[in-house]
Amino acid sequence: MYVIVSPRLGTPGDKFQPVEGTNIDALLSAGFISTDKPKKSSKVKAEPVEE
Amino acid sequence: MATSVYLSNPSVTINSVDLSDQCTAATITYNVEALENTAFGSTARTYTAGLANNSITVTLYQSYAATETEASIYSLVGTTTTLVLQPASGAVSATNPSYTLTGAYLESHTPINASLGELSTIDLTFTGGTLAKATS
Repeated sequence: MYVIVSPRLGTPGDKFQPVEGTNIDALLSAGFISTDKPKKSSKVKAEPVEE
Repeated sequence: MATSVYLSNPSVTINSVDLSDQCTAATITYNVEALENTAFGSTARTYTAGLANNSITVTLYQSYAATETEASIYSLVGTTTTLVLQPASGAVSATNPSYTLTGAYLESHTPINASLGELSTIDLTFTGGTLAKATS
């Protein structure tokens, strides 16, 4: 699982899906992508309703 | 009516990195080697298809900033990668085909190629690999 870091590859934070033949090592070493987990959506839990 | 092509906004992606805004020239050479099969009795030379020997050359402005030209290219020397070129950015179509060269080898790179008073550029040649054209 790779995550986009540089906007030159797409939206930062999105999962990177390489096309066939992509040199992953080069992208990792130059910081274009990372092996971090993708960002979770920014859902905010609703506050519990007090009765 | 005749049409002509004026490329002002092509798309150039090298190893999945969009370097269109650093690119000033790009050439795809789609080549299938000719093997001569002329024989006695022939009145003219004839040929048959050999191996494909494709290449892409690009000219890029050099930049040493993070995730720019130098960072994109330096690690590719001596390896194979994939390049995708389109006449114009936007959706792939019959009038805006996409050309993908998979398994192209980068033999050399000039990290410093500068002259006084001029913007530094680099010329790269990716050779070999399989070329595919997509129209959708």
